[in-house]
Amino acid sequence: MALLEVSNMTKEFGGLRAVDTLNLHIEQGQILGLIGPNGAGKSTAFNCIAGVFPPTVGSIRFDGKDITGQKPWNLCKQGLSRTFQIVKPFGSKSVLYNVVVGSFATTNSRTVAEEKAVQVLESLNFADKKDVLAANLTIADRKRLEIAKALATEPKLLLLDEVMAGLRPGEVDEMVEILKNLRDRGITIFVIEHIMRAIMALSDRIVVIQFGKKIAEGTPDEIANNENVIKAYLGEDYAVA
Amino acid sequence: MNRSQINKLAGIGVLVAAFALPLIIRSATYLHILVLLYFYAYLTTSWNLVGGFAGVLPLGHAAFVGIGAYTSTILSLQYGISPWLGMLVGGAIATVVGVLIGLPTFKMRGAYFALATIAFAEGIRVIVENLDYLGPFNINGPRGLQIPPLETGFTNFMFAGKEPYYYIILVMLLAVLLLTWVISRSKLGYYLNAGGEEPEAAMALGVNVARAKLIAMAMSSFLTALAGTFYAQFSLYIHPKSIISLDLSFEIAFIALIGGRGSIAGPILGALLLRPVGDFSRIYFGDTLPGMHLIIFGLVLILVMHYQPRGLQEPLTRLYTALVDRLIQKKEVAGRGKHGIA
Amino acid sequence: MLFIIEDSINGILMGSIYGLTAMGLTIIFGVLKVINFAHGSMLMVGMYVTYWVVVLTGVNPYLAIFIVAPVMFLFGYYLQDIVIKPIFIAEKNVREPITVIIVTTGIWYILDNLVLLVFGPQYRSLPENPLRGQMLQFADMFVSVPKLYGFIISIITASAIYWFFQKTTMGRAIRATSMDREAASLMGINQFKVYNIAFGIGAATAGIAAVTLVPFNNVFPTVGVLFDIKGFIIVVLGGLGSIGGALIGGIIIGLIESVGPQFMTATWTEAIVYGLFLVVLFVKPSGLFGQKNDW
Repeated sequence: MALLEVSNMTKEFGGLRAVDTLNLHIEQGQILGLIGPNGAGKSTAFNCIAGVFPPTVGSIRFDGKDITGQKPWNLCKQGLSRTFQIVKPFGSKSVLYNVVVGSFATTNSRTVAEEKAVQVLESLNFADKKDVLAANLTIADRKRLEIAKALATEPKLLLLDEVMAGLRPGEVDEMVEILKNLRDRGITIFVIEHIMRAIMALSDRIVVIQFGKKIAEGTPDEIANNENVIKAYLGEDYAVA
Repeated sequence: MNRSQINKLAGIGVLVAAFALPLIIRSATYLHILVLLYFYAYLTTSWNLVGGFAGVLPLGHAAFVGIGAYTSTILSLQYGISPWLGMLVGGAIATVVGVLIGLPTFKMRGAYFALATIAFAEGIRVIVENLDYLGPFNINGPRGLQIPPLETGFTNFMFAGKEPYYYIILVMLLAVLLLTWVISRSKLGYYLNAGGEEPEAAMALGVNVARAKLIAMAMSSFLTALAGTFYAQFSLYIHPKSIISLDLSFEIAFIALIGGRGSIAGPILGALLLRPVGDFSRIYFGDTLPGMHLIIFGLVLILVMHYQPRGLQEPLTRLYTALVDRLIQKKEVAGRGKHGIA
Repeated sequence: MLFIIEDSINGILMGSIYGLTAMGLTIIFGVLKVINFAHGSMLMVGMYVTYWVVVLTGVNPYLAIFIVAPVMFLFGYYLQDIVIKPIFIAEKNVREPITVIIVTTGIWYILDNLVLLVFGPQYRSLPENPLRGQMLQFADMFVSVPKLYGFIISIITASAIYWFFQKTTMGRAIRATSMDREAASLMGINQFKVYNIAFGIGAATAGIAAVTLVPFNNVFPTVGVLFDIKGFIIVVLGGLGSIGGALIGGIIIGLIESVGPQFMTATWTEAIVYGLFLVVLFVKPSGLFGQKNDW
C-alpha cells in the first residue's frame, strides 16, 4: 500500500496555477525524488502536502487516512515531517535544544525527549556539536540539524526540501549516505533536489514536473533516458553524458 | 566546591537576605520602595511568560492589573468578600480577557498583537473613566475607589505595618519565578521558545504555536491580575489613570526588555536596576527636569537593544560566571598551595 | 436631520485628517514591516516645527508645508539611518524583529520628554489665528474652514503618495522591497536606502498632517500620543500597509466621533471606536483593505 497518495492536486494563487492536477504516490520504505526547473511548483506541492496551505482541488492520503487541509502540527504528530529549503534553526538555542523541540512531538517528559534527541544526534554523527548554538553552525551542519529536528519527531514519511543545496561535493556524498541509512531504517523519504548526481544516486523513483504538471515518472535510468525530460528540463549536456 | 554548589549557596544567600531585610530596614519609606520594587519585578516576570518566551510584544498589561485591582476591591467593598478570594476572581476574569485578545491576533504578525493589546487596555481605561456603575458594580469613574480601613489581619488583606505586605509580595515573586523556571524546562517552554523564534519551523515539528501562546497569555494575564489586587490592598486607593495607564503597560515591558526577555533572571534584574533609576531621577529631577527619568529609560532601552538585544542579563550572567570561575580557581590554587606545604 | 448631515461633513473632514496622521504609519509598516511607535511623536515634532515656523516668520500656516515636509523628511530619513538601521542589520536573520519595534518606543519616550524639557508642558496655539473657529455656512449648516483645508490637503497628499508608489522608479523600488526584501536586493535595490526613504516619507506625511492640525489644535508635548493610538486603530481598520485604507479608516473614526455624540455621551464614542477595532480584529483581521497574505 502506498504510504502517501496525492490525487489530482491543484494549487492556485490568485488565478495562477502553481500545481496542476498532480498525481503521485510513495511506497512504504522508498525514496521518491521530485525534480523540475525553478518555479515548476515543487515547493508548492510540498507545502500543500505538509499542510502549510490546503490544495485548491484534490486530495492527499497519508497512511490510509485523508489528510487534505490538515495543519502542519497535526500532520507531524501523525508521522509526516518536513525540512525547509531555507533552513530555519532556532538560532539562539543549542543544537540539542533544537532537536528536543522535535522529540517533544511524541512525549511530554523532558528527560525522555532529551534522551531521544541525543540518540538522533548520535545516529547522524552530530552528537559532538550538541551544545553549539544553532546560529553558529556551518551550512552543512545547519542542513544536518534540519534533518535531526525532523527525525526527532519519529516520522514515517520525511519530506526533504533541497537539503543538499549549498553543500560541497564531499558533503553531498555524506548526505546521500545519511539518507540511504534512514531509508534502511524504514523511513520513507520524499525529496526535492537540484543536484542531479545526488538525486539519481538516491531515488528509487523520480517524478518530474514542469509548470506544475507531471511530465515524467520512473526509475532514475528511465528518467535519464526520457525524451520529454531531456528536452524540457535536463538539456543537451545531460543527454550526451 | 564546584559550580553548582556555589550557585546553590548564592541562591540561598539571596533568599535569606531577602527574608531578613525587614529586620534590618526599619524605615517605612525604604520598605515601601522595596515593596514596589518586588511588585514591578513580579509584574515583569509575569509579562515575560508571554512577552519573553512567546516572542510577542504585549503592551497593555496594565489592563490586567486594573482588572485584578477593581475586581477584588469591588467584591470587598460591595459584598464583603475577602480580597484573597477576589484576587482569584480577578485572575479568572483576566484570563478570559487575555485569551480573547490572543485568539484572533496570535495567528497574525506580531504587530497586530501589540496593537490589539494597547487598544484593548486603552479601551478598558476609557470605559472605567466614563462609568460610575458597570451593571450593579460601582466603579466610580475617574475618581477611582478608596478602600476604607477594616480590621487588620490576613482575611481582610489589611495590615498595620509594611512588613506583611513585604512578605506577601516576596512570596508571590518567588512563586512566579519558580513557575517560570518550571515552564522554561517543560514542553510548553520549549514550544514557546521555538514558536517565538521560527513559527513555521516549530509548526512543522508538531508545535501548535498559536495554542502555546494562548496558554502563556492565559497564565500571564492571570498572574498579572493577582498583582493588581495586591496593589489595591497595599495602596488602598486605585484610579484608572494610575493602574490602567499606558505608562504602566510600557514600563512593565521596558523593564523586562532591558533586563532581558525570555530569561528568568532578566525581568527581575531589569526591575532591580531600573526602578531605582526611575525613583531617584523622579525624586531629584522631578521638579526641575520633568520626564528626565523617561528620557533615561528611552535612551537605555535603545542602547541595550543596540548592544545587548537579549538584555542586560547576558553580560551580567557572564560576569557572574567569571566570578564563580575565579572563585573556583582560587580555591584550587589555595588547595594546591596547602598541599605543597604539607 | 440637518444636524446629522452637518456632523457627518465635519466628521469626514476631521476623519481625513486622522487618515493623514496615520498614513505615514501605514507606509512605514508596508515597507519595513514594523510598527513605528514613534509616529505620534514625529507628528508632535512636526507640530512644533510648524508652530515655530509660523510664529517666527509669520507666514500663512499652510505655506509652512514647504518647510515642514522637507525638514520632517530629513528627520525621518536620518532617524532610520542612524538609530533604527543598525538594529535591522544586527537582527537580519529575524523574520519580524521585535527589537526594532522596541527601539521606536524608546524614540517615542525620548522625543516626547525631550520636548517637554525644552518647551515645557504648556499648551500652545498660534497667536492671532483667524482660522481657529472659522466656519463656512451652507444653508443652515456650518463647516469648519481649517478642517476643510485639511481635507483637501489629505486628499492631495494621498493621491501624490499613491502616484509616487505606482509611477516613479523609486516608488516601484520601494514597493518591490516591501513585497520581497531578498528578491529586491538581488535586483540591485539597496534595502536600507529604501527603508530610509520610506521612513522619510512617513515622517514627511506626519509633518503635513501636523500642518493641517496646528491651525485648530493645541500644540503640547504629549499631543502625539492621542493621535498615535487613533493611528494604530485606523491602520488596523483600513488594513496595515494600505494608503487608501488609512484614509477610509480615518474617516470612519471621524464619523463615529462627530455623529456619535448625537446619540450618546461624547466620551462613549471613544469606547465605540475601541470596540469597532476589536470587532475588525476578530472578523476581518487583515482590515478593510489589507492584503490577506501580508501576515
